Amino acid sequence: MKEENINCRVEFHPQGKSAAVPPGTTILDAAIKAGIAIDAPCGGQGRCGRCLVRVEKGTVTHNDSSYLNSEQIQQGWALSCEAIVASDLAIFVPDSRERIGLGDKITSRKAAAPPHLDWPLTSPVSRLPLTLSPPDLQDNAADLDRLRAAMAAGYQMENFSISLPLLRRLSRNLRKEKWQLTLSLDTRSREGEPRLIDIRSGHKEQPLLGVALDIGTTSVAASLVDLNSGRLISQASSLNKQRACGEDVISRIIYSERSGGIKDLNRLVIQTINDLLGELTALPVSPGGKGKIKATDINYMVVAGNTTMTHLLLSLPATHIRQEPYVPTATHFPMVSAGALGIKINPEASIYCFPAIAAYVGGDITAGTLSSRLFQNDELSLFLDIGTNGEIVLGNSDWMVSCACSAGPAFEGAGVNCGMPAIRGAIEDVIINSRTLEPTVKVIDDVLPQGICGSGMIAVLAEMLSTGVIDKSGNIIHEDKRNSLIRTGEHGKEYVICRAADSAGGKDIAINEADIDNIIRTKAAIYAGVMVLLKQVGISVTDIERVLIGGAFGQHINVESAIKIGLLPDLPWERFHFLGNTSLSGAYNALLSPEAQEMAEKLTQQITYVELIADSSFMSEFTAASFLPHTDPDNFPSLKAKNRRA
Amino acid sequence: MTPLQIPVEKWAGKVTEVKLGGNGRKDITIGGENTLPFLHFEGTFPHQPALAIEIQDMEPDWPADLLLSWGDAVKDPGQWARKAAEYGADIVALRLRSAHPEVENSGAEKAKRTVASVLEAVDLPLIVLGPEVAEKDNEVLLAVSEIGRGQRLALGNCTDKNYRAIAASCLANEHVAIAKAPTDVNLSKQLNMLLHEAGLPMSSVLTDPTTGALGYGLEYTYSVVERLRLSCLSGDEMTSTPIICTVGEESWKQKESRSSQDIPESWGAQERRAIIWESITSAILATAGADIVVLRHPRSVELIKEMNGKWLSMT
Repeated sequence: MKEENINCRVEFHPQGKSAAVPPGTTILDAAIKAGIAIDAPCGGQGRCGRCLVRVEKGTVTHNDSSYLNSEQIQQGWALSCEAIVASDLAIFVPDSRERIGLGDKITSRKAAAPPHLDWPLTSPVSRLPLTLSPPDLQDNAADLDRLRAAMAAGYQMENFSISLPLLRRLSRNLRKEKWQLTLSLDTRSREGEPRLIDIRSGHKEQPLLGVALDIGTTSVAASLVDLNSGRLISQASSLNKQRACGEDVISRIIYSERSGGIKDLNRLVIQTINDLLGELTALPVSPGGKGKIKATDINYMVVAGNTTMTHLLLSLPATHIRQEPYVPTATHFPMVSAGALGIKINPEASIYCFPAIAAYVGGDITAGTLSSRLFQNDELSLFLDIGTNGEIVLGNSDWMVSCACSAGPAFEGAGVNCGMPAIRGAIEDVIINSRTLEPTVKVIDDVLPQGICGSGMIAVLAEMLSTGVIDKSGNIIHEDKRNSLIRTGEHGKEYVICRAADSAGGKDIAINEADIDNIIRTKAAIYAGVMVLLKQVGISVTDIERVLIGGAFGQHINVESAIKIGLLPDLPWERFHFLGNTSLSGAYNALLSPEAQEMAEKLTQQITYVELIADSSFMSEFTAASFLPHTDPDNFPSLKAKNRRA
Repeated sequence: MTPLQIPVEKWAGKVTEVKLGGNGRKDITIGGENTLPFLHFEGTFPHQPALAIEIQDMEPDWPADLLLSWGDAVKDPGQWARKAAEYGADIVALRLRSAHPEVENSGAEKAKRTVASVLEAVDLPLIVLGPEVAEKDNEVLLAVSEIGRGQRLALGNCTDKNYRAIAASCLANEHVAIAKAPTDVNLSKQLNMLLHEAGLPMSSVLTDPTTGALGYGLEYTYSVVERLRLSCLSGDEMTSTPIICTVGEESWKQKESRSSQDIPESWGAQERRAIIWESITSAILATAGADIVVLRHPRSVELIKEMNGKWLSMT
């Protein structure tokens, strides 16, 4: 009966239930005793952060869990699986939705901000209303001369160029609305004089629009923008239709070498772009507004794509990008008109393609670097773009180096049996219960899962490692034959992430040893690239002050898991920043600001390219990184400390 | 004139000592050195590099000259082991070649019988090597592990794909595992890390870095062995396991050791050439840091013994 006295009373709110437990019990066990189910998908191992509760009264003993910082502990937050009852307690149990939110914040997952304009806004296209005096017998100058005279008088702009198709429409447009015209002039033309790109009769106000485009090997994303205000009207993305001709740039280039190959690939990307434009223009001009957007109101387009994608957009031969010594046709591309490419906007509209740095560090990285503003910052920053390939830029305002690692498209869903891009229905996070090995998944848009995307792969790998499903080499080693989640399937040993009954396709979603191998090779290529680049400039990992992560994939990635599998360098979490689709936001900046466009051109001169293939240490770094997290645990001191504690 | 000052490096680590045999049988300890090979002025070598002689569980498909040097002994593993002991082997290395699916596909029973007869015939420490087909290796080595319980055999090979069963069995029956990775310092270290995670202490592991014979990748093996040793001496326990090189097998595989076709006459008679090939490969790997070399020809054993003796007595 003595024991009764030393028991602590733990009350749970808002459920209003309580339990008496001896000191030393975890809050989770107390909750179970009180008949309250606190969700602990990791099995009470202090790994998932989903069992957070707030201590409202009394004292608990905290384990030095990585999930909580001192401020959060101060506020009373505790991981119920780890916090130990030390006195009578009053505990607040937040509902599960709120808890997930908290857990997310703590693992520093952050969605990307909408594009931000970092440069002074000057529209690349000017809209000029103009009224001409009609000709008569005394003044029967040609229509074009009349137009030039009026431009000189009204806008001090006599010299401009005009294309033959526009000239053909001039006389009719002049006379349609009593010599009233609205002209669109491209003021960023490279010929030194503005270029007339549209002549419309009358003085009707019409939107002046532009499009920023990111052409990725896997997916294409576009932003429709009001050129005068910089306002983002809508955004859309879709898979690149070229995927039918191969998943990575190398297979695309090989396809392009067939007869008619370039033509096919070019047609597919133009189709992808036109479909996206159709989607963007299907919306009203403004929310609730009636006027539909006309594709012909789109008067400028900026494209950021890797070197191969840009070549295929422009129908340039890409063969030599693939072959040593990896020479593209061009890194700086001529301005082309939309009409010449078959892009369905104003056919006279200019299309600016971001210049590339090298064969495998393309315009998407120039745009990404522009958007990261790495070159404006004294702090040593590592910019990582993780897409179908991994590209890296390291440096600060004084110097920059870059390299490309042939990481492969695993994180975008290719080459992994149940892999898919990070779109609706993709598993983006996984927690495995270490006792039952039962997985809990988080799916984009909370629908039934179809497959697993890059961030889910990173999470599931980290979880399988933590729970002993796999060894550090990625072999599935758990040998509990009664556990139906680990089994030998048609692709060899596999772990079931989602059972058929819980999946959209009615089929098990599983990850097999070949998938794991693929993911390990991908992460190793990226990490090895970082290490070689650091070595080239004589800098150690810990000198990196900021890690900026771009790529569509960079929006969901969980830093802790990524460090645990050795994808990201082991640095304090606050040094990681997620920038979202930096290629697209770079394109957005160049669309709206000539200074940004100029900076992009300069960046290609300022960034020194390092060819990893020519670096003898890359293979060794790669093999060293093909392990979980790494062959040299000294590179991952935080994980070593954690292992000791366990 | 000032006398030459030989720079002396102070290393943080040393090679882990691994003991084979014992429990009524002769034992041998390898490893323990705290400096690079033969640098007497810098550190100590508590144990000499060991010489193992390879025997097989069936009549081997070796070149005639090599077979001749063993006579009828090759027909019986026990007798062969006794002869190897006579020729000065520190360790007998038994290759269970007949277990290979494309040779005889013999199984656990034959392996047990053969090993029992060799253990009976000699009191030297024993290395038992499977046919290097992961599945078969597991089958025969686990059986051998059982009957050799307590004799501290070295069982090989385990790779990153099949290490778990062998490691568990070595742990249960007090044997040493030979960890073989394909000529890469990182892969060898990773395998040791996996074995370590599986509970096997480094004092129960030997590293086979995959040997390339003279003219056939020797420089790669040299570099890997050297890098493993430098890493070990710098204090990394996961690369501190003693190194075993299967020199005989690799060097007798090459055409220079097997025939005289297309070989310049000035390279000498075939048997002599083959012995030199094996001895040179062995000597070079010893200077890189190999702790055990497995040889085939009695004359090579003699030569390497002599060389080791001279090098170790130099001060």
